Amino acid sequence: MSTSRPLNLIAELSYRCPLRCAYCSNPIAYRDFPDGLDAAAWTRAFDQAAQLGVVHVGLTGGEPCLRDDLEEIVSGASNAGLYTHLVTAGTLLDREGLRVLQEAGLRSVQLSLQDAREESADRIAGVKAHARKLRFGEDVRALGFPLTVNVVLHRENLGRLESIIALARSLGARSLELANTQYHGWALRNRAALLPTRRQLDEASQVVARARQEADAPEILFAMPDYFRNRPKPCMGGWGQRMMVVTPDGRVLPCHGAAELPGLEFWRFPERELADCWRDAPGMNAFRGEDWMREPCRSCEARTRDFGGCRCQAFALLGDPAEADPACGLAPGHGVIEAAREEALADPPDLIHRSASGS
Amino acid sequence: MSEPAAWSPEDFEAQLRALLEDRYHHRHPFNLRMHAGTLTQEEIRSWAANRYYYQTRIPIKDGLIVAKASDPDFRRSWVERIHDHDGREPGQGGLELWLVLAESVGLSRASVESFEEVLPGVRRACDAYVDFVASHDLLESVASSLTELYAARIMVDRIAAFENHYPWVGDSGLDYFRSRTTQARDDAQFGLEHVRAAAQTRAEQERCVAALGRKCEILWGLLDAVERAHARPSLSPHAQLRDEASEGGAMVVLPERAVKLGGSGPEILALCDGARSTREVARAVQARHPDAAGVWDEAHDFVDEMSRAGVLDFGE
Repeated sequence: MSTSRPLNLIAELSYRCPLRCAYCSNPIAYRDFPDGLDAAAWTRAFDQAAQLGVVHVGLTGGEPCLRDDLEEIVSGASNAGLYTHLVTAGTLLDREGLRVLQEAGLRSVQLSLQDAREESADRIAGVKAHARKLRFGEDVRALGFPLTVNVVLHRENLGRLESIIALARSLGARSLELANTQYHGWALRNRAALLPTRRQLDEASQVVARARQEADAPEILFAMPDYFRNRPKPCMGGWGQRMMVVTPDGRVLPCHGAAELPGLEFWRFPERELADCWRDAPGMNAFRGEDWMREPCRSCEARTRDFGGCRCQAFALLGDPAEADPACGLAPGHGVIEAAREEALADPPDLIHRSASGS
Repeated sequence: MSEPAAWSPEDFEAQLRALLEDRYHHRHPFNLRMHAGTLTQEEIRSWAANRYYYQTRIPIKDGLIVAKASDPDFRRSWVERIHDHDGREPGQGGLELWLVLAESVGLSRASVESFEEVLPGVRRACDAYVDFVASHDLLESVASSLTELYAARIMVDRIAAFENHYPWVGDSGLDYFRSRTTQARDDAQFGLEHVRAAAQTRAEQERCVAALGRKCEILWGLLDAVERAHARPSLSPHAQLRDEASEGGAMVVLPERAVKLGGSGPEILALCDGARSTREVARAVQARHPDAAGVWDEAHDFVDEMSRAGVLDFGE
């Protein structure tokens, strides 16, 4: 099988995080993934990734700024020739800390915000963080970094989308990612409390369309969520095609949810070379290309665009990762999505915040 | 659910005028600069050469409108517009006056008539206008022409601006503008009366407003393209250019995005040094590939695409 060139490395430096967001899509049992790679190991991983053709690295987590060797890690990525991007909740670094990373070669920053209103933002994060995040956003712009603001959307904050867009503008964001909650990990536990209604989403689409017309608007990334489109998302641009995830303990994955799929063997860096982990690990090849597909995907003309959707979603909702993604209206298991949409019309239950114990 | 009531003719006209006040190209930054006297000679020339393409589409558009009308009185009146543009004899009419303007700003008649300076964005905007009229009914087609309600006014300002700020343009060059101050007013009045009488329902009135809005977009897009051709693109400071010679091209990496460049992309990008305008970049590429067709359009479209992707910035 010919293997695609990975372009993007998602380097999950640590699953630890000071926030406890109820929509977190990290593995539920994140204590099973210790911070196993030191800065020297990450640096070797970046060098090998660059040789494989990777051009871009997102340093993420959890919260990457919990690493006290972050400066060395940034240097390693930058020296490998990778475009080095930090994905952070923004509660830990001050301007001086950020400047040190800039000198080490950091090029761009993504800041997560939970909402436009402090009280609501802190409620979903489970800790007081919003005001600190806004100061961090100002530091990012003051140092001249291109800023991406990422906001995970759900039924509690969708109604404030206009304020959220205005906030991103006021921070000088170049880009605003309005990310629909992905129902994995904690988010799936909280789905009934998080899943929006179609009406909320239709209104949100109109808000986004208007905002895009405004002069000097940031680039706004927004799409109807797969639960409401009857089409699956083209997850990760195809399993093991363009995106490589390395978890805090060195597992090389096609996406960070894949470690939870049963029966898949992934390999670990630095026990093996990065290229071997990417090309030859049985798990990486389990859903690469189209050979694994069943009907209706196997003969569907959309398979070259959506790649059969999300394997993790098929497992989480149907118990079998080789099934067609139930978000697809053509999938035999689509009923579970319809049931979830029905459930969202009822009053939402309370949120359960993320915790390390997994319970 | 019942349909909303039609606007009164006065309210309907007010809707049309409010739209023009908001979206007609008198507000476009390039037009504001023209009237403030800060365009360079090169910008004036490029505008004249590009706007000529628009002028050549107008009689075609008017022919399409005549062909939609079943009322002889309407046709008899509207066909005058074609005569206004083309003249009764060669060497007369609005198109001829535009060529006089082009010559008086320093362009050769042959170069203007060859459309060699016409930007791909301008061509698309003007062709979109003809396509719009071809594919819409008489009412919407006439409504789309109501930008003439503002044309007379813009011409008065333009004559004053040229006399004050661009004395190097010969006086005979302004004859086109002078001719339009009265023609546009009369034409607009005829079109307005037709639309006021013909749009009977709220839905028809709203279609007219939408058609006029589309026309404003087209005129705006024309000036956008001219303005863009004179801006000076350079690689964004946030972009990292990578040689990908082994894959036959280059790649630009940006925050959370990578853009692959194939074909002539790397060569065009290398010319975007912040000193050359887009137009000059396109001319330089043409000079290097004198036998290649489509280079001019390709270079302009490439710069537009790369600026939308965040690869290129336009310095102030």
